[in-house]
Amino acid sequence: MTMEVDILELSERSAKFILSNASAAFANGVRRASLSDVPTLAIDDVNIYNNTSVLFDEQLALRLGLIPLTTDIEEFVPVEECTCGGAECPACKVSLTLSAEGPRMVYSGDLVSSDERVQAADQNVPIIDLKEGQKVVLEAIAHMNYGHKHAKWQAGVACGYKNMPIVTFENCDECGACVNECPKNIIHIGPNGAEISGDDILKCILCKLCASVCEIDAVTVSEDEKSFIFTMESDGSYTVQQLIINAGTTIKEKASRLGEILESL
Amino acid sequence: MAYKCTRCKRNVEIDYEYTGIRCPYCGHRILVKERPTTIKRIKAE
Repeated sequence: MTMEVDILELSERSAKFILSNASAAFANGVRRASLSDVPTLAIDDVNIYNNTSVLFDEQLALRLGLIPLTTDIEEFVPVEECTCGGAECPACKVSLTLSAEGPRMVYSGDLVSSDERVQAADQNVPIIDLKEGQKVVLEAIAHMNYGHKHAKWQAGVACGYKNMPIVTFENCDECGACVNECPKNIIHIGPNGAEISGDDILKCILCKLCASVCEIDAVTVSEDEKSFIFTMESDGSYTVQQLIINAGTTIKEKASRLGEILESL
Repeated sequence: MAYKCTRCKRNVEIDYEYTGIRCPYCGHRILVKERPTTIKRIKAE
């Protein structure tokens, strides 16, 4: 059977879809690839010219590192894979500068990038609150790398899935116990006893409280092992669509690399 | 090493042998080390 994708919600940053006719191993592969194998840009080195703020230089650098930057996967390559050999060429490095004087709050939008394609994904991430006379002048150097190196390079955040729930009601006596017990309030009494209508089944959390409370064992809760409800969120470096495509591409590349190795044996 | 007296704000040298930690101009005993003007490179992690 061929794999099917049924999109429930799709916005720039997040997506919800049903992946059916796929194995749990593949679903987990997509999840893991989007978390750790899609390279993204993040601030890696910080040259501090002046810092009279209340934060230590290291703390300030850490905060800068965690700011998501918009990335074009076609234009940049991870430092280790770059042809320059770690010498930091424009293909693997982007420089951003920050110069601010108090009193004011410094936001990620105040970072001035040397490359217009690379900007802070959100303009309103607070970096530091400067008081009267405090100053911060620095140059931040962003590198591309993978999520398995450091969490700041994770393009996918809050990626997860659950199996498609299957709830069946047989010989229901309409006592209404399961209706009151359900924490998601998705069960209601229909013409043929208790039922879950339409897309409400997607809200089921497989807690099985309805089955345990039913005195005549009319409710059975199970899951479809070949079908998954996926939720994916991007940190803003890519649109969620690009993120899933890139995750799929990395899985494909790895599989073909494995094939090449096995063939050469 | 340049230090700064927190009371008279003057740059002072510390004389370890004779006066110890004390401002030679005003006698104040709280001195702070100024931030060097060099560029500091830090790993963001």
